[in-house]
Amino acid sequence: MIQKKICMLGGFAVGKTSLVRQLVSGIFSEKYLTTVGVKIDQKSLSVRGQDLLLVLWDLYGDDDFQKVRASYLQGASGYILVIDGTRKETVDVAWKLHELARKAIGPVPFAILLNKHDLVDEWVVKHPMISDLSDQACLVSMVSAKTGEGVEAAFFVLSEAILKS
Amino acid sequence: MERSRPSSPTHSPTEYAKGESEDFSALRRLLLSPEQVQLDRLRQRLDTFVIGPQEVSRVLPDAIRLRARQDNRLLASMLPITQEALALSIKQSPQLISDSIAPILGAAIRKAISRAMREMLQSLNQTLEYSMSWQGLQWRWEAWKTGRPFVEVVLLHTLRFRVEQVFLIHKKTGLLLNHVMADGISSQGEAAISGMLTAIQDFVRDSFQQGQDEGLESLRIGDLTVWIEQGSSAILATVIRGTPPVKLRDFLQTTLESLHVQYWDSLQNFQGDAAVFLETRPHLEDCLQAQFVKRRKGLPVVFWGLTAFLLALLGWWAYQASLNHQQWTELLKRIAAEPGIVVTTIQEEGGRTVFHGLRDPLAVDPERLLEEVGYPPYAAGFHFEPFIALTPEMVRKRAITVLHPPESVEVSIEGSRIILMGESSHGWISKVIRSAPAIPGVSEISLERLVDTDVKQFESLQVELEGQAIFFLSGQETVLNRELVKIRQVKDILQELDTKAVQLGRKPSIYILGYSSPVGSQPTNMSLSERRANKVLEILRETPFHVLKLFATGKGVDPDVKFGPGGGQRYSANRRVSFRVVEPGISPRGEVGAKIGP
Repeated sequence: MIQKKICMLGGFAVGKTSLVRQLVSGIFSEKYLTTVGVKIDQKSLSVRGQDLLLVLWDLYGDDDFQKVRASYLQGASGYILVIDGTRKETVDVAWKLHELARKAIGPVPFAILLNKHDLVDEWVVKHPMISDLSDQACLVSMVSAKTGEGVEAAFFVLSEAILKS
Repeated sequence: MERSRPSSPTHSPTEYAKGESEDFSALRRLLLSPEQVQLDRLRQRLDTFVIGPQEVSRVLPDAIRLRARQDNRLLASMLPITQEALALSIKQSPQLISDSIAPILGAAIRKAISRAMREMLQSLNQTLEYSMSWQGLQWRWEAWKTGRPFVEVVLLHTLRFRVEQVFLIHKKTGLLLNHVMADGISSQGEAAISGMLTAIQDFVRDSFQQGQDEGLESLRIGDLTVWIEQGSSAILATVIRGTPPVKLRDFLQTTLESLHVQYWDSLQNFQGDAAVFLETRPHLEDCLQAQFVKRRKGLPVVFWGLTAFLLALLGWWAYQASLNHQQWTELLKRIAAEPGIVVTTIQEEGGRTVFHGLRDPLAVDPERLLEEVGYPPYAAGFHFEPFIALTPEMVRKRAITVLHPPESVEVSIEGSRIILMGESSHGWISKVIRSAPAIPGVSEISLERLVDTDVKQFESLQVELEGQAIFFLSGQETVLNRELVKIRQVKDILQELDTKAVQLGRKPSIYILGYSSPVGSQPTNMSLSERRANKVLEILRETPFHVLKLFATGKGVDPDVKFGPGGGQRYSANRRVSFRVVEPGISPRGEVGAKIGP
């Protein structure tokens, strides 16, 4: 079984932890996020006949991206940028985190998840806002951590991209 | 190639052209001849080129190495051939393969078995050792209270240290390379734990601004310690219960260094596929060390106490068994000797011994025998059919039961004769005479040595009566006052005699015999004696009797009284009335009776 480290990145309260929770029921408490700054879970997948173990590093989200520990990104095979569709400022944070990740680990596959699709009426994030970013991503998907919509598929697509890279 | 010769100067155009061509060729030959030869030779080699084994053998090792660096295609191409070759080889000469892998496989199997056996024995040893001690009992109580297995509680208390888990972690990615656990340990999410251990290290390193080579060395939570050995490319994290010795740390560090040397390339090129690190398992398992608290030598007091108790129990059991045997033997002896009981079979029924046979109802109750010999009543039972025993003991017993003899009578049996000795009433003797012949086993009764007390008393009264005498004055028949007292005594005796005669069924006659002294004539004396007898009869008739009949008769001078000179007293002794008892068919006592007639 091949293991891949994937980091969850995004601003404060964009729903990273809830997205991971949709995927796995972890063994670590969420208080690790505020203390150590990361909570790690694992998820088994089978991608095109290849058994894969995703080790998900859910990094504590703060709108001040400088608080994100770059050391936690080391060795990641990919990452997920999570944006709150109802908050425009989370796009900027995502940009900065993307730049931080690029600097730390280089050009690895990443996915952009536009969360809170269940509140689509309240959305303020429009596609042009993220067009520059989405050009580089292997996937841009609208998901809902509340309903679970699109979550597993997003991880699947990112895993495929990681295996191809 | 053959060189052409030069032509003459006078020639036709055609010849000229021909000549020019030849010249050119000649020139070319002159200028390029050595190169041409080489080219021709090369062409020939190329036309006839075949790669020989020698050429291949020269380049093959380097070619394989170079290709393996590029990609896996060579490996993929060779894999089926290698597999087939291996299969064929195993098929054709299994011994060769067996001999080749035996040194590795044998050692690995031995190691695995010895490890499993060691762990099992250690666990068993501890469990046995502590299960007998006072402490063991306390721990057993703890196990029961907490619902944990006893072995686990023993382990917790006796463990000095035990490496429960070993994580080999890729330093850069935090991904798990391999993981081993001690027996009985369960874990989940090893990959996440591995990542978290790396993250915590990064966190500490960043927080305290330590260099990349520095890192967290130890974590401690309660009884658990996590030791983290840092390598350049990998981390060895061990989860230890208890207090590990420092030398374990050296061992872990040495192991990690050895793994770095052995798997350097794999560690550098790690892309998430940990398959190659599966081979690290034996090294990691060597790190699963444990040390237990040494028990003091000598057996615990509880053991000795228990042994003493068991010995006492054994002694008690042996004593009980011996007692039981004695009681059983005694019971058999008593039942066999008991008259009126015949045992035909002895059987085990429902966990107890049941005696079958015959029993005279008058024989002793067998339950009482059990009680007497002390044999437990629940261990024996009786099933006897009733019968009449004719043994002397049982005949005597039956006679006693039927006749109810008084205490003064002794009953014995001789053959079929019942012998009665002692004293008894006339009524009981009559009953014996009536009843005894009906007793089974009795055909004869012996009463010779049995005294009839009623007859004895009758005779005694008779003697007493016949000893009485009423005296008179000379020549008189008047009863003196002082003699009246005697007559009253006689009257009492007669009443008793009457009662006794009724009991005995007799009808005696009482003769009142009058006497007189020899003084005077015989007729006078006869008359006087008769009057005297009648006088007493008259007084005695005042009392009614049931069966006694009183008769008065004058006897004159008593011939038994001798007279001589100076015999005054003898004279007075003759002036009297005496009494005699006479029964029909029975001779009266003494000579007097013989004289009396109807």
